[in-house]
Amino acid sequence: MPVPKNLSSVLKSVTKPGRYTGGEFNSIIKNKETVKCRFAFCFPDTYEIGMSNLGVRILYDVLNKDEDVWCERVYAPWTDMRDKMREYSIPLSAIESGDPLGEFDLVGISLQYELCYTTALAMLGLANIPLWSKDRSEDAPIIIGGGPCAYNPEPVADFFDLFNIGEGEEVLLEISHLYIKMKEEGTYSRSAFLREASHIEGVYVPSLYRAEYNSDGTLKEYEPIYFDVPRTVKKRIIADLDKAPYPEKLVMPYTETVHDRIVLEVYRGCIRGCRFCQAGMVYRPIREKSPEVLCKAAKCLYESTGYDEISLISLSISDYSRLPELTDSLLEWTDEKRVSLSLPSLRVDSFSEELMKKVSSVRTAGLTFAPEAGTQRMRDVINKNVTEEDLLRSVRIAFRGGKSNIKLYFMDGLPTETLDDIKGIADLAKLVVNEYFAIPKPERPHGIGVTISVSCFIPKPFTPFQWEKQDSFSLLEQKQAHLRSCITDKRIKYNYHDAKTSFIEAVLARGDRRVAPVIAYMVKNGAMLDAWDEGFDFDKWMDAFEKCGVDPAFYTTRGFATDEVLPWDIIDCGVTKKYLLSEREKAYRGVTTPSCAEHCNGCGANKLGGNNKWCK
Amino acid sequence: MVQISNNPAYSVLRIKFKKLGDLQYISHLDLVRTMHKIIVRAGLPLWYTEGFNPKPKMVFAAPLSIGAESVCEFMDLRVTERIDPDEAKRRLNENMTSEMQVVDAYYPDVKITELAFLSYEISIKTNGLNEALLEKCRAALDADTIKVVKKTKSGDAEVDIKPLIRSAQIRTSGGEMVIDCTLSADPSSFLNPEYVVKYLKDNVGILSDPIITNEWYSILRTAAFKADMTEFR
Ligand code: SF4
Repeated sequence: MPVPKNLSSVLKSVTKPGRYTGGEFNSIIKNKETVKCRFAFCFPDTYEIGMSNLGVRILYDVLNKDEDVWCERVYAPWTDMRDKMREYSIPLSAIESGDPLGEFDLVGISLQYELCYTTALAMLGLANIPLWSKDRSEDAPIIIGGGPCAYNPEPVADFFDLFNIGEGEEVLLEISHLYIKMKEEGTYSRSAFLREASHIEGVYVPSLYRAEYNSDGTLKEYEPIYFDVPRTVKKRIIADLDKAPYPEKLVMPYTETVHDRIVLEVYRGCIRGCRFCQAGMVYRPIREKSPEVLCKAAKCLYESTGYDEISLISLSISDYSRLPELTDSLLEWTDEKRVSLSLPSLRVDSFSEELMKKVSSVRTAGLTFAPEAGTQRMRDVINKNVTEEDLLRSVRIAFRGGKSNIKLYFMDGLPTETLDDIKGIADLAKLVVNEYFAIPKPERPHGIGVTISVSCFIPKPFTPFQWEKQDSFSLLEQKQAHLRSCITDKRIKYNYHDAKTSFIEAVLARGDRRVAPVIAYMVKNGAMLDAWDEGFDFDKWMDAFEKCGVDPAFYTTRGFATDEVLPWDIIDCGVTKKYLLSEREKAYRGVTTPSCAEHCNGCGANKLGGNNKWCK
Repeated sequence: MVQISNNPAYSVLRIKFKKLGDLQYISHLDLVRTMHKIIVRAGLPLWYTEGFNPKPKMVFAAPLSIGAESVCEFMDLRVTERIDPDEAKRRLNENMTSEMQVVDAYYPDVKITELAFLSYEISIKTNGLNEALLEKCRAALDADTIKVVKKTKSGDAEVDIKPLIRSAQIRTSGGEMVIDCTLSADPSSFLNPEYVVKYLKDNVGILSDPIITNEWYSILRTAAFKADMTEFR
């Protein structure tokens, strides 16, 4: 981007200035005088995080393939740069043109995790765009939210003009085309545009609905204010991923980013039904890409980027029904080109020696598995259909294959959890250590380390556990202390997620429109980058709740009644409430549900269409 | 002719390139990572070290600091076959943006370590630019000693950079003050041109708060020389 010369001293004084100036290979520059719609794609986190996001990569490509639209990128400045921007009134601008965000027609903000909300709004503030949708003037950009958090948009609904619910490839283009059409016809006004946009499937315009509450504080109903506005907004999906556009080129960052590599999206959705997992439900139905399409994309991206690593991603890569075919055809050329394959989401029940050999890369000495819970009882409750034997078999293969560090992910605070289940986490880790010593010395690597990483359960919208209550801090702390006392082996390292962060996340995940003033208060008082230790301040959040008269416990430690109107009832993600309820009841009985590959459980996502062999 | 490589497995190909505009904010470390990908994209026959974790070998002369542009950066590459340098140049340029382009590619006959001096054009836009200010700056650079505080591994140290300045002239151009200087580029006594600006800033009082006063300076590396002041290439 063209940097004004007098900003050079600011850029020289901040850390990693290269993340603000763009000019990357493959970044897209168009003539701003001739394009008809200028779209700013904002990622409410740093450049390093945002550049790696697959959704941004895909949508940047899709929008820019349209010659009437110019999509640019915007990232959050790091604290040092943010302070300079505030000090010298430098507005937040897009990387490609250097133009301030306020000059764009459409501004899309990707909401990947709840703690990015303050960053998203602080970015609007840095661009001098009013936070509340109702305060925006006729010529302000239309602010569009999207991404996984948009499945419960309510806590931030009043800040956004509209939301894209579901996959964005088609919807964002339709929104852009509507904008261009109305501008050309001279029919554009903010309100006319939003009303018209609400007719696009997968678009939610919060200002067109009134939320009513009961005297006990629960939601009464959502009422559309016009007859032509849909009662519920159905999520959009791409029916055939093989035919969906996929970038042939990637913007190449100069500075180091978190996943600086080629990422191949192998399928969307998940055949499993872990009962705590939001992604596993909201991305249904599963739709796979064919190995032919994936291989072609990989080859093409290798040639256009020069990356030496290809990562195969999806919610659970080993569930891809044609995985051997895919890895075999990739390996036909990757080895020779010194390109390595990585598979970040392995399940223990399908891990094999053969698979490990294919992805064995000299760079990593470790492997990560996610049993999620310590006892079989607890794993049955959450429907994580893996057994102790699956895990031990997998670590055995890993140790024999020379891996010396095993990382295990767990959750605490799960529904029905007891201290015995917590102890089970320590016991399982110990069994992993024992497994190592059971291997004869010459056949195992030198040294062993097992890390157990425990995060706090957050009851997420559109999961069978969406009605559950969250454990109180004191209970979570008690559980954490208990787990610590159960670990007796020095080779086991224990990391746990801060319960306070999870508490705030739960409010933001399950909140309704009455939470918005709290977020606005935080932003007004300087909050940003809450997903980072540098940004998160629990006491400030608690203070904000108090100042705004919002009781966070209402959304966290209070369970939601099954007949209650939920804030996210306005969204239809495909999976029905009836199905979620039946899964919840099965959870209490400790009964598991087979994967969609075994048989269709009738979750309701089939009504969204989509090419797959499972949904009945 | 000096023997650049005794190893028959590879030849050393020298790339002279420019790094301008936005790219002045890219650190040297990031440049090295970027170059590797550019070379892979260009499909040059890179030679890799042997062993467990093979790596290509790229050697850069006098890393440029953040905030400086250049039209004469040098990088030595090891290639497994003696490809046509013009073809290499063409393929590399296709894989770079207009702000980073190869100006020359060739099989060198001097080692990259023979680079001894680098010339810079330092342009300073400062308020109140007049003859008196120019004279003050000239006098400052003509002094017998030019003491600046340098960051070293063992803390800050005051050093005299005068012996590292081979020449420095001051002129004006389009309302800006321009310092043409040639500084030591020897790894043991490399002088970053930022110190010249900093010295003037602290001693003559220019560029007090550039953003508010709308002042600035820019640095462009323009030429490279061997110890005898003949062109380095
Ligand atoms: S409709 Fe059936 S097969 Fe399809 S996602 Fe739902 S449960 Fe799985």
